[in-house]
Amino acid sequence: MDIISIFLIFDSVVLIVATLILTYFFIKDFLKGKLNHK
Amino acid sequence: MEITLIDVAIISLYFILLAIVAYFAKKKIRGLTDYFLAGRRLTLPIFIATLVSTWYGGILGVGQYSYFSGLGNWLTQGIFYYIMALLFALFLAHKIRKSNLFTIPDQLEKFYDKKSRFLGSIFNFILVTPAPYILSLGVIFMFLFGVPKWIGIVIVLAILIAYTLYSGFYGVIYTDFLQFIFMMVGVALVVPFAIAKYGGFEFLTANLPETHLHITGGLTTQMILVWGFIAFWTFVDPGFYQRCYAAKDSKIPRKGILISIGFWILFDICTTFTGMYAFAANKAGHISIEILENGLPQPEVYMIFANSVLPPVIMGVFLIGIIATLMSTIDSFTLLGAMNISHDIYKNTFKPDATDKQVMKVTKIGIVITASFGATLALFFSGIISMWYTIGTVCISTLIVPVLGGFFIKTKKPPISGVLSMIAGAGVSTVWMINGYSNLSWGWPVYWFEIEPMYPGILAALLVYLFIIGTSKIYKYKGVV
Repeated sequence: MDIISIFLIFDSVVLIVATLILTYFFIKDFLKGKLNHK
Repeated sequence: MEITLIDVAIISLYFILLAIVAYFAKKKIRGLTDYFLAGRRLTLPIFIATLVSTWYGGILGVGQYSYFSGLGNWLTQGIFYYIMALLFALFLAHKIRKSNLFTIPDQLEKFYDKKSRFLGSIFNFILVTPAPYILSLGVIFMFLFGVPKWIGIVIVLAILIAYTLYSGFYGVIYTDFLQFIFMMVGVALVVPFAIAKYGGFEFLTANLPETHLHITGGLTTQMILVWGFIAFWTFVDPGFYQRCYAAKDSKIPRKGILISIGFWILFDICTTFTGMYAFAANKAGHISIEILENGLPQPEVYMIFANSVLPPVIMGVFLIGIIATLMSTIDSFTLLGAMNISHDIYKNTFKPDATDKQVMKVTKIGIVITASFGATLALFFSGIISMWYTIGTVCISTLIVPVLGGFFIKTKKPPISGVLSMIAGAGVSTVWMINGYSNLSWGWPVYWFEIEPMYPGILAALLVYLFIIGTSKIYKYKGVV
C-alpha cells in the first residue's frame, strides 16, 4: 500500500479515535454535573 | 439511488434519538440565559463538538467543490478557514467571552449606537439564514426517498422547528454532540472503503487531471483570493460568537477553537479525498455523475459515490453523518436568527421593558419565522454554492469593518461610523453583485473590471469608517465639537 493511502486511513482512524475521546470527556462532564446550574 | 430498508431504519432511529435528546435538554431550561446560551455553562468537550458541527454545514457544496477542484477544495474551504479560526482564537475569543453579551448586534450597540444594532441585526439575520442548508437537506430527501424538493423541505422544517423551539440552545448543543459523533464517524468511513474497492493513490493519479493533485486545484488566483476573503466570515460568524458567550470561562473559547481546527483538518482531508475519488470513479466509468451548466457536479455527488463503496448499515451511518452535518448547522442558525428577532430587534430596539417571558415567547415565534424564511429562500434558489457566496459576500462586506473596528481600533469612534460603514459596504457590494448577475457567462457572474463585489464592498465600508473617525478627530482638534 502506498504512503498516501496509509496516511488517509490513518487520518480516518485518528478522526474516529479523537471523536471517541471527546465523547468520553463529555460524558464525564455530564455525569459530574458540570453542565448544570451552580 | 436506492437505499436499503435497514439504512432507512438507521436514519429513522437517528431522528428518534434527536427527539429524545431534545426532550431531556428541555428540562434544564430555567430562564432566558438557558434558552439562549445554555446558562453560559459550556465545558471544553461540548464547546468543541457544537462549534465543529455547527461551523461545518456545507457538506454538499464541499462535495461539489472537491470533485471540481480536488486539493483546491482543501485550500479554499479548509486552509483559509483554519487561518481565520486561529486568528479568532488568538485575538478575539477571550474578548468576546469577557464582554458577557448575547449577540453580534449587542457588540455593535456597545461599540456604536442602537441604529448600528438595528441595521447589524438585519444583516446578521440574513447571514444566519439556514436556507443553503435547508436546500441541501431538501435535495438529500428528494434524492434518497424520491419525494419532491418541497416535501423534503417541509419535513426538515417540521423536525427542526419542533426540537429547536422546544429545547432552545440546550437542545441545540446536546443534539449537536450526537450529530458531531455521526458526522465524524460517517464521513471518516468512506475513504478507507474507497481505497479497499478502487485502490490507493495510483487509482487517483490514473484518473484525475493533474490540477486536482495541485493545492490550487487549477483555480484562478482571483477565485482563490475571493474564497480567502469569504473565509473572513469567521470573524463575524454569529455561531462562533454565541459559543464564546456560552463558554463556562474565558479560557475555553481559545482552547476549544484550537482543538476544533484539528478536527476540521482531519475531517476536511476525508471530504476532499472523497470528492477526488468520486471524480476518479466517474472518469473510470464506475459511477455516473451529472455535470451542471457551471461546471460543478450535481450536489448528490458524495452520496452517489458512497453508495458505490459502502455496504448497507455503514451507508446508513454515512447518510446520517451527512444529514447530521446539515441539521447541526440549521438548528443553530435558526436559533441565532430567532435571537436577532427577539433579543436584538424586539427587546433592545422596540420594547426595552419586555420581560424574559415575553422575549422567550417572541424567540419561539422567531424560530418559526427564521426557519420559514430559510425554507422560502431554499425553494426559490437552486444553487447551494451560489447562495453561500451571495449571502457571504454582502453580509461580510457589511459587518466586518464595524465589528473588527470596534474590537481593535482603540480611539473613540463616533456612533454614526458604525451605521454608515454598514450602509456603504452593503450598498456597494449589492450593486456590484446585481450588475454581475445580470451579465452571466457559463452560469457565472461577470463583474465590473472583473473584480469580485466583496473587495469594493469592504473597501467602501473601510473608507467611510476611517473617514468619519478621521474627520471627527479633526473637528475635535479644532474645537468644533
